[in-house]
Amino acid sequence: MKQFKTKTLISICTMFILGSTLSNHAFAAKGSPENGFNNCPQAVNVQVNGLVCDFCARALEKVFSKKEEVQSIKVDLDKGLVKVKFNQDQSLNQTVLTELITDSGYNVVDFLPGCSDG
Amino acid sequence: MKKLSITFLLLLFIVASHSRPVSYPGGWTVMQTNELGNHNLHIHYSPSAKYSIGYRGELMDQSDIKFHTFQFNRLVKRWNKPQEQANFYWKSGIGVFTSNATNNNQFGVFTGFAADWETRRYFTSYENRYFYLNNKHKEFTQKARIGIAPYIGNYGDLHTWLMLQVENTPQNPDNFVVTPLLRFFKGPVMIETGYSDNDEFLFNFIYRL
Repeated sequence: MKQFKTKTLISICTMFILGSTLSNHAFAAKGSPENGFNNCPQAVNVQVNGLVCDFCARALEKVFSKKEEVQSIKVDLDKGLVKVKFNQDQSLNQTVLTELITDSGYNVVDFLPGCSDG
Repeated sequence: MKKLSITFLLLLFIVASHSRPVSYPGGWTVMQTNELGNHNLHIHYSPSAKYSIGYRGELMDQSDIKFHTFQFNRLVKRWNKPQEQANFYWKSGIGVFTSNATNNNQFGVFTGFAADWETRRYFTSYENRYFYLNNKHKEFTQKARIGIAPYIGNYGDLHTWLMLQVENTPQNPDNFVVTPLLRFFKGPVMIETGYSDNDEFLFNFIYRL
């Protein structure tokens, strides 16, 4: 009975340690600076709806310039794209990018790799 | 006939104001406008992309009223489409009004809505305001604009618009005033200049910090 209890306790502890390790790993992956493009982590092109006015699109520059991960952004009104370049070894994940663009007053349609001139 | 056509235009282009009253989170905007005997300065701060708060100082030549108000602007709804955008705003203010005629200070309020629709080529807008000081001083104004860009500039270029503004103030003798105007913007600066059919200059300046 005592041996059974010890085995159960060891199993529970092992599961707990394994579980917390896996969840830490998963959290790190979620929180890591991933833009969703492993072959192009340094730039992303975001397809945006509502990008018609240069004067209003200045908001994007202002909002993105507050993020230390961002090296530069370029707005392409013709293609409805926001081209974001990140600093060395830095990036922003798609959730953060979506939030920044929504805060600027636009809607995200799609994310495209930014290394080609999408 | 002229009035009918203008009313039709007003109804047809039930959309946008000349300057967006809400900016990006943390953004400041300075607007200085001079049109049809009204001179006003509006400085607002946007804590979020949904609303802004600010100061409006206005001098109304015709009714000889000056006012200093706290203004609240709310973006009620925005529609973003691939090549177009539309907005609907609610604006209101409360503050102190002074008139040289009465030489005393009174509290007053105003409220109104503004809407706009634009592509990179076409622009339409509509806005109105109901201003109430007391039973003697109350005023409703509305204006509509249509615009066309003679060329399509990309981001960072100098953008030019040709616009036509129709303003209606039912209680004024010239209750319909038509103003052709030019709008230019580059970077954070927007300038508008025009001349109305009742011989008034229009000059508006907007700077986004």
